[in-house]
Amino acid sequence: MSSDFEIKKAQTSSNIERNPATTRKVGLRTPNTLAERVLFILSRYREASIAAVAIVLVLYFQIGSGGEFLTAQFLGVVFRDTARIGLLAMGEVMLMITGEIDLSVGSTFSVAPYTMALLSVLWNLPLAVGAVAGVLIGVLVGAVNGIITVRFRVPSLITTVGTLFFLQGIAVSIYNSQPIMTPVQEPFNEFFGQSLYNPSADAVLSWHSLSAFTPVVWAALVAVTLTLVLTRTTFGLHTVATGSNIIGAREIGVRTDRIKVYNFMIAGALAALSGIINTLQFASADPAAGSPFLTLQAIAAAVIGGTSLFGGSGTAIGALIGAFVVATLSNGLVMIGAQATVSDIYLGAGILAAMLLNVQVDRLRARRRI
Amino acid sequence: MSPQSVPLLDPDAPVILEMRNISKAFGAVTALVDASIKLRRGEVLALVGDNGAGKSTLIKILSGFHQPDAGAITLDGTDVRFASPRDARAHGIETVYQDLALIGDLSIFHNMFLGRERHKRILGLKLLDNAKMRDLAVTYLETMGISIPSVDSMVDLLSGGQRQCVAVARSIYSSPTILVLDEPLAALGVREGGQVLGLIQNLRRQRSVSIILIVHNYHQIFEVCDRINFLHSGAIVLDTSTTETTEEELIRIVRSGRGRRAAGEVGFGPT
Repeated sequence: MSSDFEIKKAQTSSNIERNPATTRKVGLRTPNTLAERVLFILSRYREASIAAVAIVLVLYFQIGSGGEFLTAQFLGVVFRDTARIGLLAMGEVMLMITGEIDLSVGSTFSVAPYTMALLSVLWNLPLAVGAVAGVLIGVLVGAVNGIITVRFRVPSLITTVGTLFFLQGIAVSIYNSQPIMTPVQEPFNEFFGQSLYNPSADAVLSWHSLSAFTPVVWAALVAVTLTLVLTRTTFGLHTVATGSNIIGAREIGVRTDRIKVYNFMIAGALAALSGIINTLQFASADPAAGSPFLTLQAIAAAVIGGTSLFGGSGTAIGALIGAFVVATLSNGLVMIGAQATVSDIYLGAGILAAMLLNVQVDRLRARRRI
Repeated sequence: MSPQSVPLLDPDAPVILEMRNISKAFGAVTALVDASIKLRRGEVLALVGDNGAGKSTLIKILSGFHQPDAGAITLDGTDVRFASPRDARAHGIETVYQDLALIGDLSIFHNMFLGRERHKRILGLKLLDNAKMRDLAVTYLETMGISIPSVDSMVDLLSGGQRQCVAVARSIYSSPTILVLDEPLAALGVREGGQVLGLIQNLRRQRSVSIILIVHNYHQIFEVCDRINFLHSGAIVLDTSTTETTEEELIRIVRSGRGRRAAGEVGFGPT
């Protein structure tokens, strides 16, 4: 190793002597060795690398379960979980890009649909109206989280732990912690909820088979929208600027506080949407549906998807693929006969591996090696 | 890029900025006492002085970051007061701070246009016109003679000198009348510092923007500056053209901490 390094060093210095003009072109260095190239590709296309992991997992479970994984029925379950975790994770990504985090999304996930169900049961309001109210509550929670965080300079980790308990407390005390059965109102339920696909009874191209996948379709739509927002709008640019260099962004005139509050509101709205979809699937609103564990799963998905914990980078697509990995792990392991709890071991190892890789890539980038 | 290639500043160039008798104290600490500077159109002025002499306070007052306790600022013949950096910017004063305010995770062209993005409408949506911003950035950086690998590279991947050049380029994109550079050469190697000096020299040749520069390396001052103001303990004790003095004399004066003439004339005794 050391002799190799010596040779490389010697070559570099002789290069400088021979051709000072070209070697002084600092900046992007073209990767030379195979390892560097792999890391270069990983740093450029983190989504691609996590997608590769997802494919490997699917193949493993497909073989391990004797071909049971890639069936419409099972994928319906995996996609349902992917959408639930993914919608939360994409909200977290927006926040984590600005350098903040929201631990209260799980509580919003419970409160928003519970409000919808209550409005339906108590006042006979249509679910669609209740859903709008639920999403507005999510936005409001986000605004409160954001304003407390930026105005009063409470770290968002603490702010949102507060709102987590506060909202959870409201949800369980408001109606004697009873789950509420929600009515089924078509086509609203089909549009947002899920009809479980029955391959023997339904044609593949029927509405029923299509609506079996509505949650993940919504999640994909959100992913596309957020990707557009991040890469093609001023708001997205300022979101990245806020997380990457908050002092610099302020000096340039980016309204960093506002950007953060808006992203808290996006995270709240997505948490509410996720909770509403979840409730419509089961036609029941459970006041304890969104546990802190669900929030942590979402953060795990965001991190596995390549979101930096230091702000400044992250993608919605990555978070959605990360959510698919989390959902695949928990469902796949159960399917091939492992204990449900075992999946947490793999999930934990997966998060650690993703974090180690992220930090490594960041460090290489900081040293301008790639 | 030799100093000879830039003709001397026209002696009749009008005074564009005057800061008169500026005083500023932060609590018990006095930063500036009756400091006055003049800047002519197209001039490159070096502010020198030890740490704590008041250089940064002076330029932060000029860029609207601090408000003076006493004194006046005259810009193009009219008295002005800057309540905020935004205010100063609106009056055509751009400042590049030491931290450069570049966003490491954004590309060079996004950094160039941050806060003044170009848009296009697609289906009624106001979207970023990335292609246009990229083209504008490429042409602009080319005309400034700044060489960077690609405007698509993340700022994180640039060297210190390139960053400084991009930051300077960004701040003069809005064609300000005055450009303030806070230690643009600090933390740069000889070659990287050369890039930045070359850029300043280019601007000086065009004489379209007046520059105030905080520098510590006296050799570099004589390369790119027209005039030198030496600050000591919050007051200007020396104001001289670079043609009227030499590096040796400047170093001697700075060491003594006094102006050219007897210390008594500038208002404080020997220390």
